[in-house]
Amino acid sequence: MAASVSAKTMLGQQTVTPPPPQAAPPVAPSAPPPVATAPGPVPWMRGLREVKPLPITPLVPDAVAQTSAHFFTDRQLATLRQLSEIMLPPLKGYPGAIDAGAPEFLDFLIGVSPVDRQQMYQSGLDRLDAEARQRFGMPFAGIQASQADELLRPWLRTWMTDHPPAEPFAHFVNLVHSDIRTATINSEAWSKAETAMGREEPDVGLYWFPVDPDIHREEPGREASAPVRHPAPKKQHA
Amino acid sequence: MTDETVDVLIIGSGHSGGMAAKCLTEKGISCLMLNAGPVADARRDTEPKPAYALPFRGFKQPGRLEHVFQSNEFNANTWVDEQEVPYTCDPQQPYNWVRVRLFGGRSLFWSRQSFRLSDYELKGKSHDGFGDDWPISLSDLAPYYSRVEAIFRVRGHADGLPQYPDGNFVPDNSSWTGCMQRFVDAGKKMGVPVCKPRSSEGVDGLASSVNLLLPDAFATGKLRAIPNVVVRELRVDPKTGLVSEAHFVDRLSRREMSVKARVVVLAAGTLESTRLLLNSKIGNSSGVMGHYLIDQVYGPGIVCSVPEARDGRATPELMGGAALIPRFRNLDTKAKNFIRGYALNVFSSAHPMDPRNFAAYGAELQKKLDSYSGSGFSTGIMGEVLAHYEHQVSIDKNVVDAWNIPVLHIDTKYTDNEFNMARDAVDTSIELAEAAGFEVLSKNYDPNPPGYSIHELGTCRMGDDPKTSVLNKWNQSHDIKNLVVVDGSCFVSGGWQNPTMTILSLAMRASEHLAEQMRQGNV
Repeated sequence: MAASVSAKTMLGQQTVTPPPPQAAPPVAPSAPPPVATAPGPVPWMRGLREVKPLPITPLVPDAVAQTSAHFFTDRQLATLRQLSEIMLPPLKGYPGAIDAGAPEFLDFLIGVSPVDRQQMYQSGLDRLDAEARQRFGMPFAGIQASQADELLRPWLRTWMTDHPPAEPFAHFVNLVHSDIRTATINSEAWSKAETAMGREEPDVGLYWFPVDPDIHREEPGREASAPVRHPAPKKQHA
Repeated sequence: MTDETVDVLIIGSGHSGGMAAKCLTEKGISCLMLNAGPVADARRDTEPKPAYALPFRGFKQPGRLEHVFQSNEFNANTWVDEQEVPYTCDPQQPYNWVRVRLFGGRSLFWSRQSFRLSDYELKGKSHDGFGDDWPISLSDLAPYYSRVEAIFRVRGHADGLPQYPDGNFVPDNSSWTGCMQRFVDAGKKMGVPVCKPRSSEGVDGLASSVNLLLPDAFATGKLRAIPNVVVRELRVDPKTGLVSEAHFVDRLSRREMSVKARVVVLAAGTLESTRLLLNSKIGNSSGVMGHYLIDQVYGPGIVCSVPEARDGRATPELMGGAALIPRFRNLDTKAKNFIRGYALNVFSSAHPMDPRNFAAYGAELQKKLDSYSGSGFSTGIMGEVLAHYEHQVSIDKNVVDAWNIPVLHIDTKYTDNEFNMARDAVDTSIELAEAAGFEVLSKNYDPNPPGYSIHELGTCRMGDDPKTSVLNKWNQSHDIKNLVVVDGSCFVSGGWQNPTMTILSLAMRASEHLAEQMRQGNV
């Protein structure tokens, strides 16, 4: 037997049912494009176009799993948990920030955020804890709500979108409040509570998938593997 | 290999490119349109999702689109990625360059506010001595505005104010809601006109190049279009001095290609058009290209509550609706510390209030939110930015985009005129709101960074003198007669008005003039 097998022969072998004989086309293509094939007798994509979508509603991990917090120190996270409990407790059948896993989610979010946001959070949490120890002789995580109010209320401000207070500590207090609320109201737990009350989910929006994403797109901090790029000196966007 | 030379090459598919395509093809001229991004299909590319199902729970992805305040986790994939197409600026002078490269460009996403410029803007120097007059006046543009307003179905009310020129409107004869009427009355006492807003209704809710302009162009059979190609350079034939070729790169494969053209219409959006011309080193014998970058001041405003609408008492008769206060400063009198003027957008909302309007948390905040829900009333500035020569863009030779095209360096900032104007807008808003009996909850005096309005204009200004302007009054390059730039880069001054109607009218006027020049054999 000959050692080599032509591609045409291989394709023929992988056809499950030979095509019925038919009249020759008027002009035979000289080099038909190769068809994607499996290394076996059955074509890879066979049957997929006919299958109905699976009847599943995808589960988000928050429904069953806890976020592993690892960015903040234990003391910072304890402060953030206490802050979350105070700023958004369970109210009127809605979950509180703790039930929604907001502190752990923020540990994740801030952990992957730009350094200035990380530092704003870290120094803000540290200051709250230090003030609690100084004034009440115990960590922020252990003080009463009324004591926490003494530390927080002087820094509460009203502010408009994109213009949080400029003073650093007021900036932290008002932004962390906003973030705790967003992480809670955008949680699955909150959505379930809405549904249980017969309300439409308020946080459903029109999500845009990437539209023809650039196959050579560089992720921040990762080099592209563009095959036809001309090397050029680059510097980061200022 | 093809050796075709296309009649007109149009670069960009937004409002200006779409209008050029419509006008030129309807005159029988064949056009090829290039667009840097893909064609979006909302049925294929979108899906309703709850925020909790997104990777960042509805927060913006950290580090992504830092300068696009309008972005969120739902729409992040519609904007130009700042890592992929960077630009540079001094960190002390940030600029928000907000871009869309989907087919149809930013005409897919805009606020629909539809205004004419008045001669207070077009002839601003004649009025107050600052800057330069445009080489055209409202009477030159008015017939084109009328036709554009018909295409976009602009709803509005004729107010007879010279600073708020009336147009060809779908009549808005609706009555004011109770809270708006109180604001109108407060304005009358202070000499501040509170008018009906003007807005493009479009068709089926969309007022875009992709549904109002491009279908007509394709229907002629004269328009072909290529998505996903990024134009790198325009080349001039040294024998004729005319632009003859566009060099582009396939966005996905990075294949380099070029196409020959008899005429080039540049409609890539103000700063992308200027970037392409600067990278091509053409059309700038005046040295003015890149200079006089302007936009509009957004951000300052107030949020109030209408007391009578609280505690579940908001009714459709009392709450809801919108108004527009057109420029009222520096018309017949002089403001003490700024020239030109601003408009105020006015909204009433029957929705829950934003918690940021209350310095409270926990149960106390919830009580406030419950009580104040449906009582919201707000104002926001749209202010003129003065055109200064030193506010400019240039090519940053050290930075390239994903296709190795040198990027823009943007060097601009607001000056005291803009800051003083913003302060006056907020103080006047407070005065009006309190006179109407509203409680002011929050206020902001600080403008958003330049660029935020997505109304970047200028950098290829038009004028009669080739020594001081890039384009003539027909949007045609003074240097290269077969190069026409039809987007917002031609603006001499911006006024307070959303520029879309003006960009469309100028593009229509320039394209029809170009068609006539081509017919006569002059181009």
